[in-house]
Amino acid sequence: MPATPGGFAGKVLRVDLSTGKFSTQDTFERYGEFLGGTGLGYQVLWEEVPAGAGPFDVANKLVFATGVLAGTSVPCSGRTAITTIFPSCWPKALVGSGHMGGQFAAKLKYAGYDAIIVEGRAERPVWLFIRDGHVELRDASRLWGGGIRRTTLEISQEMGADCCVAAIGQAGEKLAPMATVVNSMSHSAGGVGGVMGAKKLKAIGVQGSGGLRIAGDREHWERLVKFHLSILGANNQHVVPAFPSPESEYYNPGSRWVGEPGKRWGAAQPPVEITGSIHDMSRISYRTNSAAYFLGEQAWKHTVRGNGCTSCPIRCHTTLKVPAMATKYGLNEIAQGTCIALNFGRFFFPALPGGPKGQAALEACMIGMNMADDMGIWSNYGQIQRDFIKLANEGVFQAKLGSAEYASVPWDKWRAGDPAFLLDLIPRIGERRGELGNVLSQGSAGPFDHWGIPESSWEADHATTYWKMGHPKHHANEDDGQCGVIINTQYNRDAQCHSHTNFVRNGLPLHEQKRLAGELWGSPDSVDAPGHYTRMNPYKAQRAKWAIIRKELHDCLGLCNWMGPWVASPLKERGYRGDNSLESRFYSLATGRQLDREMLDLAGERVFTLHRALTIRDMATVDMRGAHDRVPRWVYEDPQGAQPFSQGTIRMDREDIGLAMDMFYEIMRWDKATGAPTRAAYARLNLDAVGKALADKGLAPESGK
Amino acid sequence: MNPGDTARLADAAGAAVRAASGELRLVDCEAVLEALASGGQFGESEPAAREAARALLPGLLAGHPALAALESRTGRTLYYAPDLLSRTYARILDRKGSPLLLMAEEIRLNSRDYPRPVPVELFQASPFGLASEDIARALAAMAADPEYRDISSATTATGAVYLFSTRHLERGYAVFLAQRAESADMNP
Repeated sequence: MPATPGGFAGKVLRVDLSTGKFSTQDTFERYGEFLGGTGLGYQVLWEEVPAGAGPFDVANKLVFATGVLAGTSVPCSGRTAITTIFPSCWPKALVGSGHMGGQFAAKLKYAGYDAIIVEGRAERPVWLFIRDGHVELRDASRLWGGGIRRTTLEISQEMGADCCVAAIGQAGEKLAPMATVVNSMSHSAGGVGGVMGAKKLKAIGVQGSGGLRIAGDREHWERLVKFHLSILGANNQHVVPAFPSPESEYYNPGSRWVGEPGKRWGAAQPPVEITGSIHDMSRISYRTNSAAYFLGEQAWKHTVRGNGCTSCPIRCHTTLKVPAMATKYGLNEIAQGTCIALNFGRFFFPALPGGPKGQAALEACMIGMNMADDMGIWSNYGQIQRDFIKLANEGVFQAKLGSAEYASVPWDKWRAGDPAFLLDLIPRIGERRGELGNVLSQGSAGPFDHWGIPESSWEADHATTYWKMGHPKHHANEDDGQCGVIINTQYNRDAQCHSHTNFVRNGLPLHEQKRLAGELWGSPDSVDAPGHYTRMNPYKAQRAKWAIIRKELHDCLGLCNWMGPWVASPLKERGYRGDNSLESRFYSLATGRQLDREMLDLAGERVFTLHRALTIRDMATVDMRGAHDRVPRWVYEDPQGAQPFSQGTIRMDREDIGLAMDMFYEIMRWDKATGAPTRAAYARLNLDAVGKALADKGLAPESGK
Repeated sequence: MNPGDTARLADAAGAAVRAASGELRLVDCEAVLEALASGGQFGESEPAAREAARALLPGLLAGHPALAALESRTGRTLYYAPDLLSRTYARILDRKGSPLLLMAEEIRLNSRDYPRPVPVELFQASPFGLASEDIARALAAMAADPEYRDISSATTATGAVYLFSTRHLERGYAVFLAQRAESADMNP
């Protein structure tokens, strides 16, 4: 048996809920080829979950997998991937993963485990107790029916304050496809909560007292960590501040680097004023204030601090204190979150008194964060809110709901932009109460399946930003032209890829971006100005492939793809370069196994290709191009009738996107006609057995066309 | 002045410029000279030494490896330390006395380089620090002055006003970018 390389905790814990039995496997020996994280999850699904298994079937498995860099001092390394047959994928559930930050990954590794494979189904509600080598299933009957906050509190009281609890709320218990699992108050993984609910697994509490071994030289490791810190920007790796600064040549009002000297965390006790150099590595955490970015100036006075994941200095989960929440709504006056979760409540309203950054917007956000993260409701990247607005505005609720149920909804509050509306709506969704709650809790699949609304009406409506298979676009053509389109065709849920958008939104002027792009992807033409897209070229295909593989790598290594890759930096003296080899440098030092950038990217490509193979197997078709890699109609239309490639439109050209897919398949060495990996493509990635298994079913082309 | 004295003068002048940059000030040769004098640089032989320094300073400052210079809006040469004060920020400081120029040049630079229109509120915030009335006055003055006829505005669906230069951005594209910037927080 090979010695466990550094970085890995060493074991994978397998929990059979049907029998109550536990076992362990050697992580590296059994799963090392797929790195960890999603790679480990895909491997388990490929080997152990039969094709056609439904998300809530006993046969489905749920794989909580960290990565080799999680729990180390690498910045932005607090991620856990939860891979399973994904419930919100429509019309047929396919492989997918939700990802959460917080403290769970580090605690799990300190307990000695790189991953947990959950299988079977418990007879009654249980929660999984992990304290180092001590693992047991405990009765969760008293917790069942309750929210995530109470569950977390009770388990923490039982285990001790240094535990981390990942739990589901009512939405997960009721098998809602729109259900999350949440740890550390606000760190949620979307879509997978219902699978936990189906297995009657309410929560996992984990406590670890161990450590991790780094194989490489300590001084070298610490130098690399320090270097990584030096090239960090703010949230989403925005590398220029939002404000003109004497310390920066560039600024960008759209940057998430909003922490300007002089701003104050007004609700901290005592309030904290941001001072000092904006480049000070010990003050990176002051750069990001997600609430101020989304809600404007007013958020500063409510800011308590930034919260975030283990070893991440970005702290993108901003903690807010709004005393009115208690008196006005009977809710906790403290809440925290980032991005879509922060905006969960606000996004249900087409308009709010005082505008999108007024007091009502703030209160809607606070209600949303408090309730959604307690009931464990997922927004599907804001799609649940867009669906709600479309269904309400087009009179679908009025037409489809029974009159008594329709009348019971306080529509007057919704129209008036009263945040109190959410006190009625959110529990309906979380508890799947009534037809409205039941439909919304299924995501876009709800109106498609339940009311027979054709998916094409969503695909045609630009305002829905709906993409395919029950999910929306996630940084597509609106940010990155053909690269964004390609990336959004590849996954079975919203793509969750930020490699590309973190670059094009990094805040540097176009000439700097193009210079870096030339160095990174072979041509400045691999990047366009937003809304001024040029025709497809091979460099864009190269960048799309790079973006997807790095996303997959991050999900395998425990790194945050909301921050990485770090190929641009705030450092003028480096010509704003970051480091395209950072992941492989960390991997090699942590494990002691030398993998250069190309080799690690190849490992990432192997993982991504296994995801493709699983998708092909479970869809039982080789025609990925026609049946899977779809692009919605709105991408090819412009509300003002602008032509593709003209300035000021995100409209794409059908023929050009066809060429983009050709180029992407070609660079992936897949069959151009079907978009499926060929036998040779599988073999090149040491996936011969996978290729053969698919070929035996007629699902792997022999050679590319 | 012997080579040693010249080197010392260059060091002291560099330090004076750095000190000013640290306080977000741009300085010309006279201001550097003044700083040197008040720091006792010239000692008892001040008048002669000062005159000698006055003659040497432009060359010394221009050749100083850690300093940069810009031609100010009034035509003077101003010095700063780029590691403490970025060129962009230095330009803003220089133009602060002229709201019209300050706004127009910033709008043009943003339209040319990024490219993007800028929200009008940008000019109310630090370091611009203009009152809304000053901004309105400046915009009205620009509208009437052929020198600024390229400065234009776009209003988004939410009523936000963005400013851009038609020298570098076509109106349709500027409107698109303004709308995009305004709705960026809906696309996290």
